[in-house]
Amino acid sequence: MTTYGEHKNFFAIPEDADDFEPGKGDFVVQVRDEKGTYWLSKPVFADQEITAEDLQLSK
Amino acid sequence: MVTTAEAIDYKGKKVEFPLEYAAENEIPDEELHEHLAKPSTERTKRLKARCRWKHASAGEFVEKGVCAGIERMRLLTEAHKASEGKPEVMRRALGLANILNKCTVVLQDDEFIIGYHAEDPNMFPLYPELAYMAVADYLITDYAPQPVEEAREIMDYWVPYSMQSKCEHYFDPEDLQRMYQVSTMEAPGFATGYNSIVPPYETVLEDGLLKRIELAEANIQMAKDKMAEMPWDATKGLAWLDKIDNWEAMILVDKAVIAWARRHARLCKIVAENFETDPKRKEELLEIADINQRVPAEPCKGLKDAFQAKWYTYLLCHAIDRYASGMAHKEDTLLWPYYQNSVIDKSFQPMTHADVVEMVEMERLKVSEHGAGKSRAYREIFPGSNDLFIISLGGTLPDGSDACNDMTDAILEATRNIRTTEPSLMFRYSKKGRSKTKELVFGCIRDGLGYPSIKHDEIGVQQMKEYGKFSTEGKGATDEEAHNWVNVLCMSPGIHGRRKTQKTRSEGGGSIFPAKIMEVTLNDGYDWSYADMQLGPKTGNAEDFNTFEKLWEAFKVQYQYAASLVIRCKDTLRYFEGKFLQMPFVSSIDDGCMELGRDACELSEQPNGWHNPITTIVAANSLVAIKKLIYDEKKYTMKQLMDALKANWDGFEEMRKDFKNAPKWGNDDEYADAIIKDFYEDIIGGEMRKITNYSGGPVLPVGQAVGLYMEIGSRTGPTPDGRYGGEAADDGGISPYMGTDTKGPTAVLRSVSRVQKNQKANLLNQRLSLPIMRSQHGFNVWHAYMDTWHDLNIDHVQFNVVSTAEMKAAQKEPEKHQDLIVRVAGFSARFVDIPTYGQNTIIARNEQEFGAEDYEFIDADL
Repeated sequence: MTTYGEHKNFFAIPEDADDFEPGKGDFVVQVRDEKGTYWLSKPVFADQEITAEDLQLSK
Repeated sequence: MVTTAEAIDYKGKKVEFPLEYAAENEIPDEELHEHLAKPSTERTKRLKARCRWKHASAGEFVEKGVCAGIERMRLLTEAHKASEGKPEVMRRALGLANILNKCTVVLQDDEFIIGYHAEDPNMFPLYPELAYMAVADYLITDYAPQPVEEAREIMDYWVPYSMQSKCEHYFDPEDLQRMYQVSTMEAPGFATGYNSIVPPYETVLEDGLLKRIELAEANIQMAKDKMAEMPWDATKGLAWLDKIDNWEAMILVDKAVIAWARRHARLCKIVAENFETDPKRKEELLEIADINQRVPAEPCKGLKDAFQAKWYTYLLCHAIDRYASGMAHKEDTLLWPYYQNSVIDKSFQPMTHADVVEMVEMERLKVSEHGAGKSRAYREIFPGSNDLFIISLGGTLPDGSDACNDMTDAILEATRNIRTTEPSLMFRYSKKGRSKTKELVFGCIRDGLGYPSIKHDEIGVQQMKEYGKFSTEGKGATDEEAHNWVNVLCMSPGIHGRRKTQKTRSEGGGSIFPAKIMEVTLNDGYDWSYADMQLGPKTGNAEDFNTFEKLWEAFKVQYQYAASLVIRCKDTLRYFEGKFLQMPFVSSIDDGCMELGRDACELSEQPNGWHNPITTIVAANSLVAIKKLIYDEKKYTMKQLMDALKANWDGFEEMRKDFKNAPKWGNDDEYADAIIKDFYEDIIGGEMRKITNYSGGPVLPVGQAVGLYMEIGSRTGPTPDGRYGGEAADDGGISPYMGTDTKGPTAVLRSVSRVQKNQKANLLNQRLSLPIMRSQHGFNVWHAYMDTWHDLNIDHVQFNVVSTAEMKAAQKEPEKHQDLIVRVAGFSARFVDIPTYGQNTIIARNEQEFGAEDYEFIDADL
């Protein structure tokens, strides 16, 4: 089982942020399609199991 | 080679019409508009090339990969289930906060203004809390949110809570079935989810949301202090309970909005520090991060702040909290203080005018990428576009002086450069307006964008004052505030500013269709040609109307039935919006809601009632033909006419020719115009004005046809104006029927100017001669035409300046004509994205040539 916290694309939310919670972070991926590239970020928890979809996106 | 206008004799001299740009002599007519786009920078060129357009044609998305996202509906539902038992306004706040706290945020390469309203830039959100029918429509298409089973569960969950279920209960099912035909009346808003709003952007930019939170907190403290006063008085004290709920909801959502914006800031910083390899972009991302950390929490200090804060407010009000069409704001006035800071004083975010033009081009491309989760019917009625986006410019300031400024010019320059269908512009035309800006307005029109559409500044101001008199709150627009108006959607003026703006479409919006009403009036309220059902009250058969007045009265009854029903639907929706569809974010940024502790849906300080009669001219021309040929000249009987109509004129060709050749609107014909003037003023406006809406004011007609003139035409049988069943109807609120205005452009103006009473706005489409407009005299001719239009006190006009040759070439080879834009009705569209049926209606419009008598009438300086 891989958790979000173990992934290189997991970024812990700073303690002074409005949405800080212990263990919470941003999971950031880059997506490329025929139009161009873009970045997606969603809130996750470090101990949460990473989904297959997110694992694929982060490759 | 491009066609030039023929020389004419005018005021004793021969006037030639050489092209303004000589290089165009080498460009064939068939491809002119492919040479006009000129993005001002390499960045905007790249952004346009990779733009994720979401145009629809015949209800289908034109580009592959566009689909509905599930994230918004999932998060809203999660919050709704978890908040049972809490005050309804707090449930709405928790719903929005849950979306903002947990949604995916998006950052695209190359962009400076950031933020999107779905989990992927190829997606758009859906709104099950509004109308389950609109969501059900998506679930059976390739655009369904995934996983579709979950989407279906969510939709089913919302059925009992939706606006649709809450409102339907109070209507006769027979009436609703009649509305669902969308032939005499548009379907009710509670069944379509279609909406519009004028967000009070000004408070976000001027105050920042932290200030709004402070205000709400102070109000709560004040309320609690009042409640603690002794002796206790329940008649006053209990009123604070709802207010406290509203203020608490405002605080909750504003905090969520700030956190959401700062998540975007954090994403930029993460990308800059961990992934970006281009040092220039890295630096820019850190600058964007800084902006998004500060706004919309804090007041904007420079133009970059203002564009970003405005964009977030737009996304929240039009797509995330609730779907709403339009992009109503006075962009030049709103951004002018920040333009001054950044460009003139260079005190914050210093930049040049050219940099501002690039910012506007980037904003326009953001709008072009916007995905609207509208039902199929609403995608069909805006063919060739993704949604209605109308920004207002120009006009006058509260002190009556010219409102045009360098920001106005930057918007117009960028619009002409980047050449997109969205957002459309509306220019408030005042004779005080500076010539420099008017030349830029003309530049966009001459290049065939179809916009800015032009509205009469003084008429708009007067209308705001008039409506203000009916305010049930005693807070209608003051004389100064009346100058602060924008188009709510394509046509209707409404207040912009810190308070008193229109918050929901239940105030104004929705359509009613006189052409079909005329058809059923002739058939005792029955629709024989499309739905095969009774569509209105029984008012007798045409053969029984032995006088024209009886026909007139029967139409009036049918029209009043439809008008009262549609407005009753809107007001019922408004009632439930105030109870279950509150908008605490909008409330928090409206000074009135903040002061009074009331919800934006519930509070109405400035009435703005309107509804759209669309296809009025088919009905009006039909009345003229009937009066002339049956009642006055007695050339035919009503029985003969009804037989001909039932046969779709087949076997009645000579008779059809007579009805087709009867006098038509737009030719300065006294006979036709007298009947049609009365039709507009006594019935279309007069009957509607008898209605009093939610806000306590009258409802007036705003004829803005959008693409409905095609849909309704296809559902309307043959009509006595000589039209065959199924042919498109007239394309504007007061535009002549396509191809029937044959007496020149000034004859159209003289006809239209006869209608002055009981109208709020009426769309006038005109197609002007491309060779004249692109000649060296183009601006002078247009300017003189506009001043004449202004003097005739006409509310609106908009133009197509595109050749038939180019449109026909685009029909043959659409891939070569991606930049050919045309004005359809209240919106512009990429010509090749419009279904052929609609394309042909544009080609069929008469291209108005100016003759010497027209030049004399407008006193052109040639």
